[in-house]
Amino acid sequence: MSIMEYNGGSVIAMVGKGCVAIGSDLRLGNQALTVATNFEKVFPVTDRIYLGMSGLATDVATLREQFRFRVNMYQIKEERDIEPEAFAHLVSSTLYERRFGPYFIEPVIGGLWKTQGGEYKPYIAAADLIGCLNFAKDFVVAGTASEKLFGVAEGLWEPDLEPEDLFETISQTLMNGVDRDAYSGWGAIIHIVTPDKVVTRTLKGRMD
Amino acid sequence: MECSFALTGKGYVLIAADTTAARSIVKMKADEDKIKSLGPHLLMAYSGEPGDTVQFAEYVERNIRLYQIRNLYPLRPASAASWVRRALADSLRSRSPYSVNLLLGGYDTATHAPSLYWIDYLGTQAEVPFACHGYGSYFALSLLDRYHDPEASLEEGLATLRRCIDEVAKRLVVAPGKYKVKVVDKDGVREIEL
Amino acid sequence: MARRYDSRTTIFSPEGRLYQIEYAMEAISHAGTVLGVLAKDGVVLAAEKKVTGKLLDMSGAKEGGYGGSGEKIFLLNSNVIAGVAGITADANSLVNYARTAAQRHLFTYNEDIPVEMLAQRLCDMKQGYTQYGGLRPFGVSLLYAGYDPHYEFQLYHSDPSGNYSGWKATCIGANNGTAQSLLKQEYKDDITVEEAIGLVLRVMSKTMDSTTLGSEKLEFAVLTLDQNTKRPKAKIYKPAEIDALLQQHDLGKKDDDAEMTGA
Repeated sequence: MSIMEYNGGSVIAMVGKGCVAIGSDLRLGNQALTVATNFEKVFPVTDRIYLGMSGLATDVATLREQFRFRVNMYQIKEERDIEPEAFAHLVSSTLYERRFGPYFIEPVIGGLWKTQGGEYKPYIAAADLIGCLNFAKDFVVAGTASEKLFGVAEGLWEPDLEPEDLFETISQTLMNGVDRDAYSGWGAIIHIVTPDKVVTRTLKGRMD
Repeated sequence: MECSFALTGKGYVLIAADTTAARSIVKMKADEDKIKSLGPHLLMAYSGEPGDTVQFAEYVERNIRLYQIRNLYPLRPASAASWVRRALADSLRSRSPYSVNLLLGGYDTATHAPSLYWIDYLGTQAEVPFACHGYGSYFALSLLDRYHDPEASLEEGLATLRRCIDEVAKRLVVAPGKYKVKVVDKDGVREIEL
Repeated sequence: MARRYDSRTTIFSPEGRLYQIEYAMEAISHAGTVLGVLAKDGVVLAAEKKVTGKLLDMSGAKEGGYGGSGEKIFLLNSNVIAGVAGITADANSLVNYARTAAQRHLFTYNEDIPVEMLAQRLCDMKQGYTQYGGLRPFGVSLLYAGYDPHYEFQLYHSDPSGNYSGWKATCIGANNGTAQSLLKQEYKDDITVEEAIGLVLRVMSKTMDSTTLGSEKLEFAVLTLDQNTKRPKAKIYKPAEIDALLQQHDLGKKDDDAEMTGA
């Protein structure tokens, strides 16, 4: 039994046309026993950045609180929102600080960054448990269903999806991916981040 | 073996914990109270490694009390749960971690809502409508999935709790004999005879 | 003679006074006025800026993330704003301390810090500086306007000695006596935010030295409850918004005033 599989759960993020989508399942388990079915693993960082974390649930909570602290202090001092790339490096260095006694989580970041011209471009990234960043151009996955999610996403994702189509793609990928994983499931939550708003939807799946 | 259950209902949280204190295969005590009241509207059931449990529960109790003395108002249930979770999460990565599992039930006098938190020794926290710790969870959780009603009256809640305890008594080889039951609602904390 | 007892904070004078603290308070009574009024559905803060000049670069203040020029009124946490009077450098250090303390509370308890507790955190620190040897007390008084579920809207004042108290309406800085007596006359219980805004502007216009009020002399902020989310919402007014507000209350500069054009 690996610590990374102790509580179960999966996270995914995808790039669309001028938007990103990020979502997670809702299960919290104690190995095979399901303890809670409302455990969200994706958290807002700013109005345009979301952070998802899969892995050991105690570390998910601890790091969520730690990142909130650091981002709030950054924003109140700088008087502006943190950009996704800066946040990704904050995540990476926070994890690498514990290189030889790591937090057992794999982060997934989805957000929009503002270009010089003032338009917003999608940004996604993921990292391993010691903070090695992976900047993908299409999608990133993490968690107990990651292998399955890779497979489904590879088949369903295509470039330049509009927000509604991206929502359909990420939802189908996540729901079908976690259906083949005993440690993930019990519905999902998806956030679609666009320049002017975030749409959050809770999905029901096979509730078993 | 140790079992604790908790469930929410309309304006209350019910918490039950067995009363045995065992050392290895020997029962040392049959009337141990393993549910502490941490404040006027907060209950905590604790189980786990003997020694760690009481030590940690008293540490929590005294700190929550200190907060109330300093600030004149008690911590709200959600904040108390967050504090306890952090204490366990910090302890997990210390030289000698506590092995204590908790159920925290409270009634928030600001929002008039009951809330229940499941916390394990790793510092994992979940807000849930019902929860269990110990071997009893393998039997009780499925019963609670079927019978739990967040709008149930206290009598109905107690009936559901009784179902769980009876099922565990029937099917679990190492089932505990006696339980203590406590409830927290708008009037505060009190013990209930099953 | 006094020299023997006021060169260090830790020493009482024979009359039982701590001169350094009294001097710190004196420094504050020369600082820009800061005024706060507690209403039943919000809290209003206004502050007078003393540091102005034609060559001072204020371009950052117009765009600033939180709206104000960041000279007198600060956001301490999502539920607390503060107005400072006294030595600006000391104030900046205290504001930073308060922000960290508020985030530390959020980190441990997953809730916004209660307003009184934040005031206490700062006062513990201020008190320490009146006692430990070789240190000078903070030359800063603060007004805290905040909201928490325990006592809802609140207004506190803290001084360099580390004393703090809760108020319905109060004032610190220059002319605070005049302002206090005006507030005492005009304040009534269950005042609304809208009325409080009017009251604050009226009192401010009477106590400030300058004849006309304008955004280059005034900072303004309101803390209310967001009707949709039921969470506290702090609004620190941008310079243009302050001028608009003053016009609305007939306290702003007239159009023929030369200084205003191009602002």
